[in-house]
Amino acid sequence: MLTDTENIIEVRGLKKAFDQNMVLKDINFAVKKEEKVVIIGPSGGGKSTLLRCLNHLDGNYTGDVLFKGQNLGQLSKKELQLCRRKMGMVFQQFNLFPHKSVLENITFAPIKLKLLSEAEAIDNAHDLLKQVGLDEKANAYPQSLSGGQQQRVAIVRSLAMQPEVMLFDEPTSALDPEMVGEVLGVMTRLAKTGMTMVIVTHEMDFAQQIADKILFMDNGHVADIGTPDYLFNHSKNFRTRTFLAKVM
Amino acid sequence: MFDFLQQYYPVFIQGAAQTVVISLIGICIGILLGLVVVAMNLSKFKPFAWLAKTYIAIVRGTPAMIQVMLIYYVLSKALPIPDIRFLGSSLDRVIPGSIALGVNSGAYTAEIFRSGIMSIAVGQTEAGISLGLSENTTLFSIIMPQAVRNILPAMGNEFISLIKESSVLFYIGVQEVTAQALGVGGTLYNFIPPLLVAAAIYFVLTFVLSQLLKLAENRMGRKYVALN
Ligand SMILES: Nc1ncnc2c1ncn2[C@@H]1O[C@H](COP(=O)(O)OP(=O)(O)O)[C@@H](O)[C@H]1O
Ligand SMILES: [Mg+2]
Repeated sequence: MLTDTENIIEVRGLKKAFDQNMVLKDINFAVKKEEKVVIIGPSGGGKSTLLRCLNHLDGNYTGDVLFKGQNLGQLSKKELQLCRRKMGMVFQQFNLFPHKSVLENITFAPIKLKLLSEAEAIDNAHDLLKQVGLDEKANAYPQSLSGGQQQRVAIVRSLAMQPEVMLFDEPTSALDPEMVGEVLGVMTRLAKTGMTMVIVTHEMDFAQQIADKILFMDNGHVADIGTPDYLFNHSKNFRTRTFLAKVM
Repeated sequence: MFDFLQQYYPVFIQGAAQTVVISLIGICIGILLGLVVVAMNLSKFKPFAWLAKTYIAIVRGTPAMIQVMLIYYVLSKALPIPDIRFLGSSLDRVIPGSIALGVNSGAYTAEIFRSGIMSIAVGQTEAGISLGLSENTTLFSIIMPQAVRNILPAMGNEFISLIKESSVLFYIGVQEVTAQALGVGGTLYNFIPPLLVAAAIYFVLTFVLSQLLKLAENRMGRKYVALN
């Protein structure tokens, strides 16, 4: 079944509608191992919807989404859960569990899913927290943290599952401007470790620096695709240029 | 004015105990029924959802007194409950009566559960699922603990109103505290003092319960403030 093992994620002819509203109209692209793919585009263009199809959070689409050659639409619930473990997801609104401490947020899934013993999970969580400079917050509850701190914990929570790819949906859009840098910093360091990443963002400088490939999504289409250099400096695509002119 | 208590206090104690018993059974049945009904109501299987909604609409749209009488008369035909005395009343009245209280309460509890579950942001479910947790684990370990905390105040109100409403069982001859007060009033040819005593008993019961619930809320709330 592993047709093309180099592709961690492959999307073929993906279409999705909410009732009559076509939100994704024939999307095709692939994400290779260690590749950083950034998705940009105007609000309502379908970026979040696309990301939620990649880990089958929303499975109500036509077309194929493959994770390491496995077609998510054809997997059993159990197999799907195994795939999702390997795909970390970071949300705009952090979505930490408010009734669990920072440490519990990070260790809950690995312990529950028996990936690690409790002691190992706790050690691992402290290690990861140190890497993002938040170990002293291990016993704090999410609401006592700033937005930037919460998002760093959310990233750590995903990393604790030892994912093979990380999906980010506008991870800094809900943050006060002074906290954007700390989160982008964590992501940049993560990128250097070789993590495969798919990132939806409006931070154009960051996109330009981190991306191997940028998708410009507009109105349900991948309207333009290419290296940062191509997209920012050479693309002749009218919609790409209008969008970039507005946001840069 | 309250001299009669020297003679009649055992009657009031018995009545108060009966009120506590029927309320407790009613609350328990209400919670169980509420859980079943909310699961049906949120289920993707349409007939279940329809059944749940119909039940809730009927209970909310008809008087509790009529529900109690209907359930009592239907059950006493359908179920052969032995005529055993319990706290001054026959079990063949107490049991259908408590069930009726539970059936009534279940509709309100189901709605409280529904709003509690809905109030937990979709994001919490998505966070759980995207970590590879099963839907059940996400529901029971992530959503429920937050929902319980969110609904505790509303559940407290429901328990308190159930204790007060349990006086409708007077109509089917359950000797709960209101019925006992009326009985004593009849003997004394003066209803006011015994009814005041009954009111005081209800007040003490609901007051103690509301304090206990406050304690529970504080204990749960110490650790975190809801993020919604
Ligand atoms: N749960 C939903 N139900 C109905 N329509 C939705 C839902 N989620 C998103 N949409 C619609 O899909 C389109 C794309 O939304 P989204 O993927 O959130 O775009 P983006 O993330 O690029 O801003 C929008 O028109 C939005 O209104
Ligand atoms: Mg979005």
